Amino acid sequence: MSLKFMELDIQLFAHKKGQGSTKNGRDSESKRLGAKAADGQFVTGGSILYRQRGTRIYPGVNVGIGKDDTLFAKIPGVVKFERVGRDKKQVSVYPKEA
Amino acid sequence: MIKVCIKDKQIKITGHAMYDDYGKDIVCASVSSIVTTSVNLALRFNDKSLNYNYNDETLTIDILSNDEIIKTVILNMLELLKELSKKYKQNIIVNEEV
Repeated sequence: MSLKFMELDIQLFAHKKGQGSTKNGRDSESKRLGAKAADGQFVTGGSILYRQRGTRIYPGVNVGIGKDDTLFAKIPGVVKFERVGRDKKQVSVYPKEA
Repeated sequence: MIKVCIKDKQIKITGHAMYDDYGKDIVCASVSSIVTTSVNLALRFNDKSLNYNYNDETLTIDILSNDEIIKTVILNMLELLKELSKKYKQNIIVNEEV
């Protein structure tokens, strides 16, 4: 006669329907975008002024734009954030008066 | 909460530990392991020493033998469950009905 052992189910007294795991909980590394120089700040040539995705802010006077849309100063000077038209902004660098 | 009711020669274990999600509930795992080990051990000594039945989320164990070894096995199981209930008061309770 076969012995009628209990089957070992170590969640026998757990509530049956386990909570479904969430599918969220992932995020990419933050890219530290945004302004890297303040309005009125003196910067050296080549300094990065603004990191962005797309052109939230446009390159103004003496400012160049990199292939990843990063704005940088072409000359040493003072940073100016300016409004262009109704809803556009640009950043310029003006040489310091001697 | 798991309820362990001891009455004469019958032990009823019912409910859910609710300590954690299904698959991670350590209190449930402890109770399941203690009970399964004890029941199977008693049956190995004497396959007519007890009878067990599990349905509607209630495990009922009927002790059929007065043998000292079987008594010791069941006593050990109950002592372990009591010890567990002291540490996890929210998740398991042991009642002895006289």
